[in-house]
Amino acid sequence: MSRKRQVFLIITVSFAFFLQFSVMPHFKLLGCQPDLLLVVAIVVAVQEDPITGAIVGFCGGFLQDLISHQVLGVSALTKALAVFISGMLKELFMTYSMFLPAILVLLGSILEVCFHEVTLLMLGQGKVPPLRFAAFVLPTSLYNVLAAFVIYPLMRVFSFPVREERLIVRRTDSTG
Amino acid sequence: MPVKPSKVRRNRFVLIVIVIVCIALITLYVRESDSGPIHKIQNFFVDAVSPIASLLGKIFKPIKDGFVNLWHLPTLSREKMELEKEVADLRRQSLERKELEEEVTDLKNLLNWSQQSEYETVGANIVGQSPDNWQRLMIIDRGSSSGVKKYMSVVTEEGLVGRVISVGSNSSIVQLLTDSRSAIGGRCVESRETGILEGCNSETVRFVPMNEEAVIKVGDTIETSGLGGTCPAGIAVGKVVKVKPRPRGLPRLIEVKPFVKISRLDRVLVIIVPEPESVILKEAQ
Repeated sequence: MSRKRQVFLIITVSFAFFLQFSVMPHFKLLGCQPDLLLVVAIVVAVQEDPITGAIVGFCGGFLQDLISHQVLGVSALTKALAVFISGMLKELFMTYSMFLPAILVLLGSILEVCFHEVTLLMLGQGKVPPLRFAAFVLPTSLYNVLAAFVIYPLMRVFSFPVREERLIVRRTDSTG
Repeated sequence: MPVKPSKVRRNRFVLIVIVIVCIALITLYVRESDSGPIHKIQNFFVDAVSPIASLLGKIFKPIKDGFVNLWHLPTLSREKMELEKEVADLRRQSLERKELEEEVTDLKNLLNWSQQSEYETVGANIVGQSPDNWQRLMIIDRGSSSGVKKYMSVVTEEGLVGRVISVGSNSSIVQLLTDSRSAIGGRCVESRETGILEGCNSETVRFVPMNEEAVIKVGDTIETSGLGGTCPAGIAVGKVVKVKPRPRGLPRLIEVKPFVKISRLDRVLVIIVPEPESVILKEAQ
């Protein structure tokens, strides 16, 4: 990953973090708000590789834990795991269309919410009733998918491919 | 493209490190007290990022408001109707309250006057006024059932209003002192000269002194003299606003502006004791 790309990812995660807790609470639909940090991390996992996405997810989750005054490390753990698994699932799909990140975001979101609730339950802090939880997972995940349709193209514009990648793309274009 | 084994190993290693770090953080956090270092870091972090979040909140406020409005669009028109109705209700309540306040003030003034005065009175509401320009009358909601009799004086705390000229069981007609047919005995307080107060269907009444040479000046106060036998003596009537000599031996034109603002009256008092004892009444009896 290029230096530019690293800087871009740091700025993106920071920006998504600030948006997440200052603006997104006002964009609630059916009582749910999109999880921008998770979407950004999954998009990174799609564009780069699962482990980079997991690191981004870890950082985003860590920031989220710091600000939300919940047990430090829970969001970091669940986001990192969910993003990593979503990134691994990418290999199963033989498509690179716009719908790939959307599907992965949907799966990743469901996984993340489930991991999160299970972790909190294990820590004795899970308070959401099962029915409420079921009604909460799907809207949140679909909202994240909507967010992915905005975030993925934006992040693609700033992908900053390294020289070798650009050369490969050019050679593929000339031969193909 | 197949992933290199070294890269797979590196990925696994990084993931394990992440998981271990997270579990360590969770353990430390759960085990420490609320005043522990991790909690302190959390507090410090919140303090540090709050200004930036506030700034971002301000920047994105138009978008945020737009979204909120969009989401609430279906309910906005209903809310608008409800609010309009509420505003109308509140406006009506405010008017009613103002009216009640005025009524209370009037009643307090009337009560004070009736307590201070030597006369026995009965309060009445004005329920109607003369419908044409040829007379100055008003209808009150008290009649013979309340002890009201013909020729009784009608007053407010400001002064004389007129006399009762017709009595029903629950309503009466009052002839205002400005009515052209009204004639009440009056006296100038300053010069003690007596005369007759005649209405002329205008805002003022005319004072005709018995003695044409009497000293009457602008600003003098006129009260009832009690000589007519209908109105008790000493009820304030008004102030002299014009004294105009007339040629060829005609009496002076002395205009008196009543203290009572007749157009603004809502409630009055009828003096029921002492009863009127005019010659006309005695003759009638």
